[in-house]
Amino acid sequence: MSTNIHHKIESPKDRQNRHKAMEAIKLINTIKEDFKFPIKSMEYFYDLFERVYCKNEPLHGDKVKVGTMCIQIPSEIIYALDGVPIRLCNGFYTDDEIGSDLLPQKACPLVKATVGHFASGNFSDKPDIVFSPTTCDQKTKAGAIIEKFGHEVIDVDFPRTKESEASREFFRKSIREFTSKLSKFQGKKLSRKNLKDSISKIGYAQSLYHKLTTYRQSDIVPILGIDVFLITNAFFFDKIDNWIDAMEALLEELEVRSKEKIHVAGKISPRIVYTGSPPIFPNYKIPQIIEQSDAIIVADETCSSNRMFNDMVAVDEWLVNDMLDSISDKYLKACTCPIFTKNDDRIRRIIHLAKQYKADGVIYQAFAGCTVYEMEQRSVLEAMEKAGIPILYIESDYSPSQHGQLSTRVEAFIESLKTRRRNKK
Amino acid sequence: MIERLKRFINNGDLRKVRFYTQLITFLLFVYGGYFAISFGSSFPIFVCPFNSESAATCYLISLQHQLARPTEVIFSMASLGVLIGLVTFIAWFAVLNKAWCGYMCPFGTLQDWITALRKRMGIRFSTYTQNEFENLSKIKYIFLAIILLVPLFMGLGMLDREWFHAFCQMCPARIISPMFVGDFSQWMIDFSSVTIMILTSIGVAFAGLFFIGSFVKKRFFCFFCPMSALHYIFAKFSIIRFTKEGDKCTRCGDCYAVCDMQIKDIADDVISKDILRDDCILCLKCVAACPEDDALHFDIFNVKAFSSTKEGFAKRMGIEKPRDKK
Repeated sequence: MSTNIHHKIESPKDRQNRHKAMEAIKLINTIKEDFKFPIKSMEYFYDLFERVYCKNEPLHGDKVKVGTMCIQIPSEIIYALDGVPIRLCNGFYTDDEIGSDLLPQKACPLVKATVGHFASGNFSDKPDIVFSPTTCDQKTKAGAIIEKFGHEVIDVDFPRTKESEASREFFRKSIREFTSKLSKFQGKKLSRKNLKDSISKIGYAQSLYHKLTTYRQSDIVPILGIDVFLITNAFFFDKIDNWIDAMEALLEELEVRSKEKIHVAGKISPRIVYTGSPPIFPNYKIPQIIEQSDAIIVADETCSSNRMFNDMVAVDEWLVNDMLDSISDKYLKACTCPIFTKNDDRIRRIIHLAKQYKADGVIYQAFAGCTVYEMEQRSVLEAMEKAGIPILYIESDYSPSQHGQLSTRVEAFIESLKTRRRNKK
Repeated sequence: MIERLKRFINNGDLRKVRFYTQLITFLLFVYGGYFAISFGSSFPIFVCPFNSESAATCYLISLQHQLARPTEVIFSMASLGVLIGLVTFIAWFAVLNKAWCGYMCPFGTLQDWITALRKRMGIRFSTYTQNEFENLSKIKYIFLAIILLVPLFMGLGMLDREWFHAFCQMCPARIISPMFVGDFSQWMIDFSSVTIMILTSIGVAFAGLFFIGSFVKKRFFCFFCPMSALHYIFAKFSIIRFTKEGDKCTRCGDCYAVCDMQIKDIADDVISKDILRDDCILCLKCVAACPEDDALHFDIFNVKAFSSTKEGFAKRMGIEKPRDKK
């Protein structure tokens, strides 16, 4: 009888996957079950995350996967050269812990998690080549560490000031270099038609996102902010055509919902603009606390969502060089990443979003260790005070332990916003 | 109803509208003489009367003539003529502001056609560096100074008759415009005096350079155009305003990327409301290429006549659902 029992010893890889699956499914189930009026077409995205992060299902087969360390690597060019862009920013606490052994203790959890992910080499879609734009210090150095694990990592020079004409020209050159390296790697030349098609395809995906945001501007908001984060996060790794189809289905459903006046939050739920360090699946700690505390995120200013979709590429003469320049301008000039010396653009953007989406307040999260977001905090707070927009600044990381503290602070802020609203009436 | 009309305009294909407007105005101004059409002698664009069939006279030529009178005459009642000329010029100008350059000027249109030829050949345009741009864009004020001062010095008797309409002698429009009615006689250097020889040599060289320059550089001549400088002085009197709402701008640089005149402020300046710059030709390509709702708009009597919209942007950039899906 007892001879039939096989004891299988769990390998470290399996263990890691099991832990990650647990993190992932916990979040997915919460989103699915904890909120009222679930959206049917969101099922696609819940299922997608479950397939990729719980079942480790590869999505792209034998296509060449081009890993990117930040949003500044143009997907337009990767698609035009027959690759699939995979954004490698990571949100798993399991990977963060592995990375903690390799990076300083006070490093940013996102970078630690990304490095940890590479250290374990445990990918469902393993990148064949990695492009690392030299954005913040930690990401820049992370590229070199990852290279040691046996990955092909290529740095893409990124300027840290963006006002000057020199930086524009610098990045234009840098994008040319990136293009020629990728084209060599792929053994394929960039053609006018391919590039134009991929600009149009990504532009279309962006325009769907823009349509989605119009629903969030109205008084009756048919979709939760956390769902939107999930959707934009899916764009990191999903097949773009599937993503487009899923978005179209979602938009149809939202149209119906907004006609039926389905509001996913309460009548006086404060409307929040979220900014700061990017929520990346499954680290939706702060957005989740916000929306569980009876507020609703109507807009965001983060690189995992709005910043990735908002700005479009415009071309005057559709020749390869002109397209490349326009693409590079979009990825540099419109970027509101805190790594830049000055960042008035980011402040202007937050204020504009708050006005446009009729927000009651702003919640600014910085990862402990993400120095640039921490450093910009003061100037953003000052500007918001001047503009009369209430703002809450929170520091957090990937650990599941501070939930109690954070929710107390967020709840208090949201209560104060509600009082403000009542008093206004 | 008004909403629908607005949407129709904002979604319009600016490229087409511009192409046909330019084609029609080119024919009208260059060949209008055959149909006895005349718009007078204070026209705010380069409609050169050296072309015997042109339908108007460039104001710069009239201005030079009017200022070249003896100084006593200038300060007498006869200067009323100068004033009337100026008022007529401003009246014409006020209707369209700098859109005269982008839509009406046959000389500008010609450059756009040369650009179209280059585009068809698949050759890329070149640009100035920021430094070059800043230095070169001052040249038009030097030309304007020549237009205003040389005739006055002639009136004072300090310069000879040979300086008569000195700018026109150098102007490439004098040489090129008559070609459209088959008159190539302006392609020559006049050896009647040293001054004239130098001026006409500059003219011929400039005309040659015009063809090469506008082949490699979009709107090559417009950087140097004194008419553009003169326009800018009176831009405040126009019924037309070109407005930017800085708080809606993300500085993505799309407008700058399409700007024929390489005007950096259009993308980077988020403070000025009036975003019309001296080099601007009001072609409105930037408005068409702006993906933010109402960040840039073209106003007539302070009413938005053409605004940037997300929807219009997507239409014009050919953003559509990918067809070749497996």
